[in-house]
Amino acid sequence: MDLHAPNVGFVVAAYGISAVVLIGLAIKTIVFLKTQERQLTGLEERQARRRGSVHER
Amino acid sequence: MQTFANPTRFLKLSDRLLPWAGALTLIAFAGGLYLALVEAPQDYQQGETVRIMFVHVPAAWLALLVYSFMALAHSTAIVLRHPLADVAAKAAAPLGASFAFLALATGSLWGKPMWGTWWQWGDARLTSMFVLFLLYLGYLATWEAISDPMRGARIAAIVAIVGFINVPIVKFSVDWWSTLHQPASVLRLGGPTIHSSLLLPLMAMAVAYGMLFIWLWLIGMKAEILKRRVRHMQIAAAGKA
Amino acid sequence: MKTAAALMKRDLAVAFRQGSSLGTAVGFFLTVVVLLPIGLGPDQALLARIAPGALWIALLMSVLLSADRIFSDDFEDGSLELLTMGRVPFEAVILIKATVHWIAAGLPLAVIAPCLGFLINISPQQVVPLAAAMIVGSLGISLLATLGAAVTVGLRRGGVLVAVLILPLYVPFLVFGVAASSNLVPGAASAALMALAALSLAALVMVPIAAAAALRSHMR
Repeated sequence: MDLHAPNVGFVVAAYGISAVVLIGLAIKTIVFLKTQERQLTGLEERQARRRGSVHER
Repeated sequence: MQTFANPTRFLKLSDRLLPWAGALTLIAFAGGLYLALVEAPQDYQQGETVRIMFVHVPAAWLALLVYSFMALAHSTAIVLRHPLADVAAKAAAPLGASFAFLALATGSLWGKPMWGTWWQWGDARLTSMFVLFLLYLGYLATWEAISDPMRGARIAAIVAIVGFINVPIVKFSVDWWSTLHQPASVLRLGGPTIHSSLLLPLMAMAVAYGMLFIWLWLIGMKAEILKRRVRHMQIAAAGKA
Repeated sequence: MKTAAALMKRDLAVAFRQGSSLGTAVGFFLTVVVLLPIGLGPDQALLARIAPGALWIALLMSVLLSADRIFSDDFEDGSLELLTMGRVPFEAVILIKATVHWIAAGLPLAVIAPCLGFLINISPQQVVPLAAAMIVGSLGISLLATLGAAVTVGLRRGGVLVAVLILPLYVPFLVFGVAASSNLVPGAASAALMALAALSLAALVMVPIAAAAALRSHMR
């Protein structure tokens, strides 16, 4: 790409905003998954602990 | 499709597919970006700005495809009562909305050097893409506004299906209106035809965007399914407390 | 049939007695029409050019804003649920409510609007075609407003949601509605009028089904 051509700024801006949005989207989606996984393991542990304490009686 | 009705089986399948989807996405983007930024020649009319087409057109295509997918998924949920179909649409929506936003933003950045304006309401494609973006926002707001997922699914389905019918109507009506106003000019986003040397980078980027959608959609589906489980467990725990 | 007629009579009586639908709609409409010349300045030619579009937008907004009461009263006191189980099919109930809203708000506005166009310097030969288009289109507009009300009934932040959901659906009505009163290309105006009729008829079929589905999910 000729970086000195006229209007190159628009090209950079277009690719730039695409990268920002898509990478941000990927991060958001992965974080969403991680949050759910964490919550699920937390709840499962609590459930196991509760069941464990019942058996100890 | 009946195999995917079982969330656990879907999760097993998606877990196997996820690493591949991620890897393919990265490879596709590497190849596509190389073709778009290095290989593709300058356009004799537009110069370097023609490269914007390689991020604009795939975004627009996917914005439309994803919305169609959502309408289809919800229809499947209603007609076949497939339990995961509503979730499939819900997971796809933020992705499609981002694509629609990018289509508008990159289109604007393409339009300014090409036509001299950031925006043009008379153009049917711009207006219908804007309407599509509004519909995505409305769809997402619907899921946010309704706390019960079962109810939310029905209302979201209506938004998706009614909106899906509306988009071509909007495009047609604005198209018709603008041809009345500008009988001579033909505003076409890619120029009269796409030259073959530009077609390959375009297709490569389109594939990359598609792979990105599939990858992030699988992750989103997994997250939504787990979220349901979390909700059930929380309700059950609250019941025992 | 008799039950349906009774329902319609009751709703009409409520709408006209309270005057809320028509009052809100006309009030909003007048606000727009009066404020426009003030905001845009005295350029009469400019006002004449934008008059059809401005009147249509005022019509769309007024009908939409006055629609939130269509279902909310019956939803809150439980009578909406009874209506789903009555002899009259629920879709027909919705059709009746939409028609009542049309008669009480949409249609009167559609008739008044072109006449009020003189406040924004509408050119006289546009008045009749505009009135015809508005009368035809106002049915579809009222139906879509009813759909918006059905989808958002009982939701706390329903106002914004209604706008985002229904405005995209209004775009074709606006485009064809303005075209129906223009004289750009001969034949375009009548083509636009027929398109409006087609849109209103399509809404007549689609809205009761979609709105019924929405209301049923709200009441489950």
